[in-house]
Amino acid sequence: MRHRLAVWFDGVRRSVWRIGWPVTDKDRAAAMISSLFLHIHSARVSRHVLKPTYTFALGLVSGILFIVLSVTGLALMLYYVPYPPEAYRSMKDLQFVVTFGIVLRNMHRWSAHAMVGVVFLHMCRVFWTGSYKPPREFNWVVGVLLLLLTLGLSFTGYLLPWDQLAFWAITVGTNIAAYAPVVGDQVKFLLLGGHMIGPMTLLRFYVLHCVILPLAMLLLISLHVWRVRKDGLSGAEISASPTEERAGVFPASAKTYGLMGLTTRPRASVEARDPNDEVFAWPHLLYRELLVALAVIVVLHVVSLVFMAPLEEIADPTRTPNPAKAPWYFLGLQELVHYSALVGGVIVPTLIVLALLVLPYIDRGTSGSGRWFAPERRLANSVFTTLAVVSVVLTVIGTFFRGANWAWVWPWK
Amino acid sequence: MTTDRPRLLERPDPVRRSMFAIGCIAIGAATAGFLAATLRFFVPNVLYEPSRRFDIGPPSGFPPGAVTFLPDRRLYVFNGTDGFYTISSVCTHLGCNVKRGGPGFACPCHGSQFNENGQVVQGPAPKPLAWYSLSLSPHAHLVVDLDHPVTPEFRLRA
Repeated sequence: MRHRLAVWFDGVRRSVWRIGWPVTDKDRAAAMISSLFLHIHSARVSRHVLKPTYTFALGLVSGILFIVLSVTGLALMLYYVPYPPEAYRSMKDLQFVVTFGIVLRNMHRWSAHAMVGVVFLHMCRVFWTGSYKPPREFNWVVGVLLLLLTLGLSFTGYLLPWDQLAFWAITVGTNIAAYAPVVGDQVKFLLLGGHMIGPMTLLRFYVLHCVILPLAMLLLISLHVWRVRKDGLSGAEISASPTEERAGVFPASAKTYGLMGLTTRPRASVEARDPNDEVFAWPHLLYRELLVALAVIVVLHVVSLVFMAPLEEIADPTRTPNPAKAPWYFLGLQELVHYSALVGGVIVPTLIVLALLVLPYIDRGTSGSGRWFAPERRLANSVFTTLAVVSVVLTVIGTFFRGANWAWVWPWK
Repeated sequence: MTTDRPRLLERPDPVRRSMFAIGCIAIGAATAGFLAATLRFFVPNVLYEPSRRFDIGPPSGFPPGAVTFLPDRRLYVFNGTDGFYTISSVCTHLGCNVKRGGPGFACPCHGSQFNENGQVVQGPAPKPLAWYSLSLSPHAHLVVDLDHPVTPEFRLRA
């Protein structure tokens, strides 16, 4: 009886996992390949990309933050009412009534802020290592769209608490949109769902924030990660040794890709790898990822227990706080807007986004790809670094050096 | 003829090709129509907002020579020596509420300054503050119409 139960139980387990707990490297490779979730990775990965100082796991951390945001966001939806002034009251409920409501809200807020920063750093890392080089040009484009979606999600989330900070940040933000030539006023009208910020605006931002943008994000993240899997990581070329050395050890045709023959483009980054420089993704990559995920979640918990997400007074359309500041990641933009709304709010951001989108099709060739600050990429890296530093400096000025009437203040006074 | 080549590799039949083009155009047009309809769907037909034309009470509610701020309407109402006029408190830069300071107005958000007529004196604001038309209702109440901007010469004698 006991034996038959064990056999039955084993049958159930096998229907779920198909193979047992892997013991040998071959088993582990099979486990990676046979699971939908683990199959995001190749069975073997280059040692080069496993070095923490190569990627700093920034893409992975962005992904983990997106998962944390989805989970905490879904939980918050159970108490949040997207209609003023109940929206503000439900924030108060989360703060004072719902058990651990404040922790979940803090976690949602701080994860969102962290994600903006981490995604920006991830972009910098990819640029500085020349990782948008062929065959990964299109994945850079997807990454730029993901950066825009991250900002869009943060911005649409900003109105939802319906406090003063939210109301006036959205006022400023949608008025910047109105400066766009030709379509500006229509875009503002569509975003607001009317002429002024009201219940219709809140509902629109709610649907954008909770359904439309997250779905778009999920789709593009899947594409982004899938392309990393298919195009290979840029570090692979570095560890590749000359063809004659690896010939006979593991012929290129032995690789899964070659057997599948599903692609027509040269797969240099995959096939040029020296098998002796590769390790099995399980455990080398998988355990590192689990460790990073654990670290991120622990840090988020500590931060969420110590630092409270701000909630100002209820939104008051008749009273503008002084200064009315946008969320910090838009304060660089606000600092630019302070000089000219059209140039700073529309023209400069549009040019930056366009430049980022076409970048891999202008800066072509594979030279210097896969290494930090490769000398042959000195010009590209200098230009990008300058822009990144300027945006950081503008953000710091907008955050710490601007007071009432947007006048210059010294933060230590 | 020794082999039967697959039909796909033959030169396309011109009739089939034009039918294919017509089909593509038809499907494209239908898709564009649905997209346009969906976009139009997002433009609301009814707005549950306060009317853009509204009654602000009898002229006697605004003492001569004084400036009254109507916070709910974001509007300054002036009763000057030569008549009534209104200036919007919505900064033309990015929509913050301007405050009266000295003879003119100042914006708290980005430092724009306007003179007593709402003309830009300093700062990033691209346009002067809006002036709106005032009229008298049949009950001799002042009526503001936000859909009718006027020039700073406007005065209503009541």
